[in-house]
Amino acid sequence: MQLTHTKGYQVVHQWLSSKGFQPFAYQEESWQHIVNGKSGLVNAPTGTGKTFSVFLGTVIQFINQHPKTYQSKGKNGLLLIWITPLRALAKDIGRAMEEVIAELGMQWQVGIRSGDTSTADRQKQKRQMPEVLIITPESLHLLLTQKGYPEIFKNLQVIAVDEWHELMGSKRGVQVELAISRICGLSNAQLKDKPGLSIWGISATIGNLEQAKDVLLRPITHPQPLKGSSSAAKPWLNKNGIIVRASLSKSIEVESILPDEIEKYPWAGHLGIKLAKKVLPIIEQSRTTLIFINTRGMSELWYQTLLNVAPELAGAIALHHGSIESELRNWVEEALHEGKLKAVVCTASLDLGVDFRPVETVIQVGSPKGVARFLQRAGRSGHQPDAVSKIYFLPTHSLELVEAAALKSAIEEEFIESREPMILCYDVLIQYLCTLAVGEGFVPDEIFSEVKSTHCYSELTEEEWREILFFITLGGNALQQYDEYKKVEIENGIYRIKSRRIAMRHRLHIGTIVSDSMLKVKFITGGYVGMVEESFLSRLEPGDSFTLAGRQLELVMIKEMTALVKKSNAKKSIVPSWMGGRLPLSASLGKVLREAFGKAGMVNGDEIELSVLQPLFEVQQKLSLVPAPNELLIEQIETRDGFHLFVYPFEGRLVHEAMAAVLGYRISRITPITFSIAMNDYGFELLSDQPIPLDDSNAYELFSSDNLMEDIQHSVNATEMAKRKFRDISVIGGLIFQGYPGEYKKARHLQSSAGLIFNVFSEYEPDHVLLRQAFQEVFDQQMEEVRLRQMLERIQRSRIVITYPKRLTPFCFPIKVDSLRENLTSEKLEDRVRKMQQQLES
Amino acid sequence: MGKEHAQCPNLPLHLMQPPVLHKIKNQTLWLSPLRAIFWEEERALILSDLHFGKTGHFRKAGIAVPQAIYKEDMQRLVNLLQYFQPRQIIAVGDLFHSKANQELEWFKRWRGDFAAHFHLVRGNHDILHDEWYKEADIEVWDDDLIINNFCFTHEHCQGKKAIYTFCGHLHPGIVIHGLARQSLRFPCFYFAKDHCILPAYSKFTGLAIVESSKAESVFAVVENSLIRM
Repeated sequence: MQLTHTKGYQVVHQWLSSKGFQPFAYQEESWQHIVNGKSGLVNAPTGTGKTFSVFLGTVIQFINQHPKTYQSKGKNGLLLIWITPLRALAKDIGRAMEEVIAELGMQWQVGIRSGDTSTADRQKQKRQMPEVLIITPESLHLLLTQKGYPEIFKNLQVIAVDEWHELMGSKRGVQVELAISRICGLSNAQLKDKPGLSIWGISATIGNLEQAKDVLLRPITHPQPLKGSSSAAKPWLNKNGIIVRASLSKSIEVESILPDEIEKYPWAGHLGIKLAKKVLPIIEQSRTTLIFINTRGMSELWYQTLLNVAPELAGAIALHHGSIESELRNWVEEALHEGKLKAVVCTASLDLGVDFRPVETVIQVGSPKGVARFLQRAGRSGHQPDAVSKIYFLPTHSLELVEAAALKSAIEEEFIESREPMILCYDVLIQYLCTLAVGEGFVPDEIFSEVKSTHCYSELTEEEWREILFFITLGGNALQQYDEYKKVEIENGIYRIKSRRIAMRHRLHIGTIVSDSMLKVKFITGGYVGMVEESFLSRLEPGDSFTLAGRQLELVMIKEMTALVKKSNAKKSIVPSWMGGRLPLSASLGKVLREAFGKAGMVNGDEIELSVLQPLFEVQQKLSLVPAPNELLIEQIETRDGFHLFVYPFEGRLVHEAMAAVLGYRISRITPITFSIAMNDYGFELLSDQPIPLDDSNAYELFSSDNLMEDIQHSVNATEMAKRKFRDISVIGGLIFQGYPGEYKKARHLQSSAGLIFNVFSEYEPDHVLLRQAFQEVFDQQMEEVRLRQMLERIQRSRIVITYPKRLTPFCFPIKVDSLRENLTSEKLEDRVRKMQQQLES
Repeated sequence: MGKEHAQCPNLPLHLMQPPVLHKIKNQTLWLSPLRAIFWEEERALILSDLHFGKTGHFRKAGIAVPQAIYKEDMQRLVNLLQYFQPRQIIAVGDLFHSKANQELEWFKRWRGDFAAHFHLVRGNHDILHDEWYKEADIEVWDDDLIINNFCFTHEHCQGKKAIYTFCGHLHPGIVIHGLARQSLRFPCFYFAKDHCILPAYSKFTGLAIVESSKAESVFAVVENSLIRM
C-alpha cells in the first residue's frame, strides 16, 4: 500500500501542514512500514519527534481501516501499547498524544498505567481499555496478573517500546521481552485472518542497533514450535524487521572549560568546583542550562557552590536527582518547561525524557564515562530542528581534559558503545512465571516455547526449565518431609497461584529494580524532603548535620523507617554518598582515550585540550612516558609507602579491579608477596612493601590470557562478589519478602536477609539456579570476563614499556589519590578462616 | 529423583571438636561447637533460639528456603543428646519460630523418642497454645526459670538479675579482623561477669554483632570448632 495515497496519510499530512509542519522523511518511512504491518526499530535522537513516528503511524493505520467513521468511532479496545522506562515520561507523552487526537477530532482515549495510577483509573481501564495505553514494564507485568487479560490484547495492533536502548541492557528489558513474547503468543493463537501485530522499538544511537532490533523482535522472527508438537510454528507476516534511521545528524559542539593555569589545576581529588566561577557566564548567556553531575552527592555540593559564588542565582537555579521528593522534581520539570529556571544541577535523573525546549546549553562535569551518555546529554540542548546542541565539558582533574578530546573524536567518528542485552536471568523468569500463575495460570509447554522465542532465554535448556518449574511448585527438590510448600499449584495441567495472600504478596513485588533500603527524610514539623540510604543514616548520630535536596538538615531521630530532621545552620555538613554512583568507563571510550593520549604524546596536537595539557605531558614524558595507542605503560616507583607498580590499560575501573587481582595473584606465585590494590578508570596500582618482580623478561607472560578463568577464580573472592549480586536476584526471584508497604512489621516472621539466604543455599543447595546466576553475573558484569580477555589479547599485541620514574608521575597521581583502595585477598573463604584461626591461636 | 531423598547431613562425631570446658561459679559447663552448653552438675543441655519450624513457615508462604536446614538443626540436636546424655533440656526461648505447622508435628514425633525433661523459657516467638506444649511434653516457663543458683531467661538479662543468668534472643555474633582489613563474622558464646548470651542454635538465623571488650570471655563458633577470643 502506497502510504501517500491513503486516507490516513492525507488526514495527518493536512493536519500537520495546517500547523505549518512538514513530516521528516524518517517519520514518513516508519508510517509506510506500519501501514504495511511491518515491525522494526526507529533510530532517532531525542528532540526530533520520534514519538510521532510510531504514534502517528498507528493513527494513520486506524484512519485507513475506518476511513468514514474514524472521527466518531470510540471504544475500539486497546490498539497501541506504549512502553516507557520512566513514569515521569508517561504524562508528557500522553499529553502530546491527546493533543493530536483532539485536533484530528477523534474519539480515542489515552490511558496511563504506572505505579502512580489510581485504583479508580485502573478500574475504569478494566471496564473500558483506552485505545492507547502508556505503561512501564512493571505495570505491563502487573496487567498480566489480571483475570481475563488476554481479552485486553485482542485488538492490539502495535507495541511500541520507547527508549529501548535504555531498557535493553537491564532486567527491565528482559521484562519487556517476556511481556512481548506473551502478547505475541496470544496474538499467534488468535491470528486467523487479522493482520499481525507490529512491534516497534524507538532507540537513540547505540553501537549495536541491529542487535537491539533483533532482540526486541525475536518472538516474531523466531517463533518456537510448541513443545511436543511436530508442526512448525506459524509463520509471521513480517519477517526480520526494518531499521528506520533518522538521518538528521544534529550537530553537536563540544567545548572544554579550561583552567587558567594547568600547572595549578589539581591533578586529582577535586570535584571541579574550582572552575565554578567559569560556569557563571555560560549560565548567563543561555536561556536555560542543564549541569550534569555524575553522582547525587556531588550534585548537592555543586548546587551549594553555585549559590555561594553567585548568590544572585538563588531562586533561578534548582537541583534535580533521584532521591529528591517527586513533587519537588515535578516542580523543577514544570519550571524547566516554562523556562523559569536559568540552570538545573542534575544527575542521570534528567538523562531521559521529553524535551525541555528552553534548554540551550548543557554542561557535563567530570567524565561522562561513555560516548552514548555524553551524546544523550548533549542532545538535551538545542531542540529546534536545526539548532546546534552545545555541551561544555568541565574536568574535575587535569587529565580528564584528555577525555574531552577523546569524546570529540568519538563523536566525529560516530564511535558509540553497544548495550549488551542480558541473557538467562532466571530470577526474572521465576518472577514472570509466578505473575502468569497469579493471573490466568499457564500451561508450561505453551509458555516454554514463548520464553524460548525471546533473546534472553533462547539458550534455556529443558532441564533448567524443569528446575525452575520445580522451584515454583515444590520449592526446590521434591520429596521434602512434612512439607507444606505452597506457591504455584498444578490443576489439570494448569499452573496457578491460588492463595490470595501469596498472590497479593507477589503483585507487590513485581519489578526488577531493587534499591538499597531507603529511609524517608521528613521534617519533624511535617513535610517530606527525600530519601536517603539507610546505610548512610546509620552512621549519623542525632545532632549531626547533612545535606539533602540542597538543604542543610540536622538529624533529630530515626523512627520507623523515617528520619526526622530539622533545619540546620551548621557550617559543616556531610553529603550523603548514595550507592551505585560510580559508573565504570565504557570500552569504547577507553579505546578513543588511548588514542587521545597517543596524540598527546606527539608534538603539535591540534586539539585545544591537549595543547593546554602540554606542560603536564612534558612532565609525564620527562619522568616516564606518554604511551602511544599500541603501547602499554607500566611504571615502577619507590616511595616511602613502599613499592608501587602502576599499569595503564584504560579499560575502566571494574576491569582494572579484576586485572589487578589476577596480576597480583600471578606475581605472588613467583614469590610470596602481599599487595594492596588501587584503581581508577585509567589504570591500576599494586603496592607492596617489597620490590615487585615484574620486568621485561616476564611482562608478557604475566599479562597472558592463558588460564585466565582459573587465575580469576584463585585471585578474586568470587563468593563475596556473588553474595552482593545475590541481593537483587533473591528479591526478584521471590526469596526475600520485603514486607507490605507501610506495615512492614506484620510480616516479621517472614523476613530474612539476602546474606543469610545466600549462606543457606551455598551450604544446602549449592547448585541452585539463582545461586548459579549470581556467580554468572559476577563473571559477566563485575569482572567482564570477555572484556578482560580482549584486553589481555590486545596487550599481547602491543609493546609493553616499563619505566622507573624517580617520583610520582601525573598519570599515576589520580590513581594514588582518587581511587578506591582495596586489598587483594587471594584466598578462598575456608583458607581465610584457617589462616585467621592460626593467627588467633598463635 | 530418588537420589534427592538424601540423608540428613550428619556430622560424624569424630570430626567434631570436643567440647570446651568453661567454669562459672564453680559449675562445670561444656561448650559445644554445635551451639549448645552442657551443664554437668545438673546434666542439663542449654540452648537458645532454635526457631524450629521456620523453614516450614517460609515455605508455606511460598518462599522456597531449603528444608535441609531444619533437618540438620534437628539432627544436630540428636547428636548432642546422644553425646551428652542429658537429663534435662533447657531452651531459653524461641524454640519455635511461629504458628504450628507440619514441621512442628515432625518435631513432636521426634520428641517422643527422647525422655529428657524439656524446659522452655518462653521467648517472643513462642506463641503456640499451652495445649500444644503439653502434648509435646514441654514445660513452659513464662517467667524466669531458676535452677541451682542459675537463672534462665529469654532476653535482657544484663545486670538485672541477682544471680548468674543465661539468655538468648540476641543471636550474638563476633567479627574477627584478620590481616589486611579482612573480616569474618561468626556466631558466638558471650560470657559477661553476671550473664551469658547463647548463640542462636538454628543455622537459619542472622547475627547481631556484639562488642567483645566488655565480655569476660567470648567463644566464636568457627565451622566445627570453638575459638576463644
